[in-house]
Amino acid sequence: MISSEVTITNRLGLHARPASKLVQTAASGNSEVFLIRDNQRVNCRSILGVMLLAAEYGSTVRIEVAGPDEQDVMKRLIELVVNKFGEE
Amino acid sequence: MIEIADLVKDTFRRLGLKIIAGDEGIHHTVGQRELNRPGLALAGFFELFQSERIQVIGNTELLFLNQMTESAREKILERLFAYPLPCVILTNRNTPPTQLTEIANRNAIPLLSTRLDTTELTFHLSHYLTDRFSPSESVHGTLVDVYGTGLLFTGRAGIGKSEIALDLVERGHRLVADDIVVITRKAPGILLGSGPEMLRHLLEIRGVGVIDIRQIFGVRAIRLQKRIETVVELTEWDGKEEYERIGLETVYKKILGIEIPSLRLPIYAGKNVTVIAETIALTLHLKVYGHNAAEELMNRQAVAMKQKRIISDYLRWDNE
Repeated sequence: MISSEVTITNRLGLHARPASKLVQTAASGNSEVFLIRDNQRVNCRSILGVMLLAAEYGSTVRIEVAGPDEQDVMKRLIELVVNKFGEE
Repeated sequence: MIEIADLVKDTFRRLGLKIIAGDEGIHHTVGQRELNRPGLALAGFFELFQSERIQVIGNTELLFLNQMTESAREKILERLFAYPLPCVILTNRNTPPTQLTEIANRNAIPLLSTRLDTTELTFHLSHYLTDRFSPSESVHGTLVDVYGTGLLFTGRAGIGKSEIALDLVERGHRLVADDIVVITRKAPGILLGSGPEMLRHLLEIRGVGVIDIRQIFGVRAIRLQKRIETVVELTEWDGKEEYERIGLETVYKKILGIEIPSLRLPIYAGKNVTVIAETIALTLHLKVYGHNAAEELMNRQAVAMKQKRIISDYLRWDNE
């Protein structure tokens, strides 16, 4: 299992569209992905779970990936967050 | 194209058109659904004259004709009837001036009369012509009225469209057409679907054969036609394709140039598509009444984000 911390830098935070993209990316590999914020831990393949985190602009989220392609999935997830989910 | 003879026959109950002159032209055809009132033409202005349309002579046009001198009337009618008019209709059961009938006969252009006034005639005749000239196409799919919403199920043969229809009928919904749905564009933005007459309300269930829904479930399980409101595209779930997860955006599918909301539904063993179909219909109803669950979730999340920010800002500067 690997884990990494990321900061949400798109202005609108982890709202519906970024959440969808995150879920898509998490589901694209063969690893389990979890998102943790404060004391909440949700499965990153669940759109409702990801939205429940209500991770706003500037907040920090921990990503946990466990599985055969964890490095690859983690890389893609971080890339997505760093690129602000293709938003501003 | 419609022959005037057919038009008279088809609309007899509504319009009661009688042929009073020009019978020889009864096989003329009309290819346009618009009507024309030749007022300006009668006044001698023939620029942009829509001669290929059905001409309607109402009270005003007739009064105008009647107050002309005989020679002037003769001249203008000759000029008007020199065009290949599909037919001319007199409203309000008005009596035509003799010259009008003579010229109609001479030029073999049907002169028809109706008891309706011009507004009524225009309404009913336009309705009929729009109906007859509506573009239509037939698609492979199944159309069911679910809680009053027309759901058109599409997907490859054998994916289970008929079985879903059967299940929906069993739950009290109404079958419109299975396998072949004839879609007609009625008014702008409206697609009506129905089944070919021969196959009406028959379903083919693999392993069983053809079944007759009307005979089995009775008239309340069927419907002759229904407006298509949503397309439900059934696909096999392969775990790879992306599907709508939130439902904030509506995807449209173009049928006969009209955009119809459409969604893709992955199906797999154990998935109850029937209940999902009912839910699709009910969600649509809720949207009509102004409720959208996806938007509701967005709003709740926005409130949560704001609150979290306020609390974290407060804690950050609270150096107690």
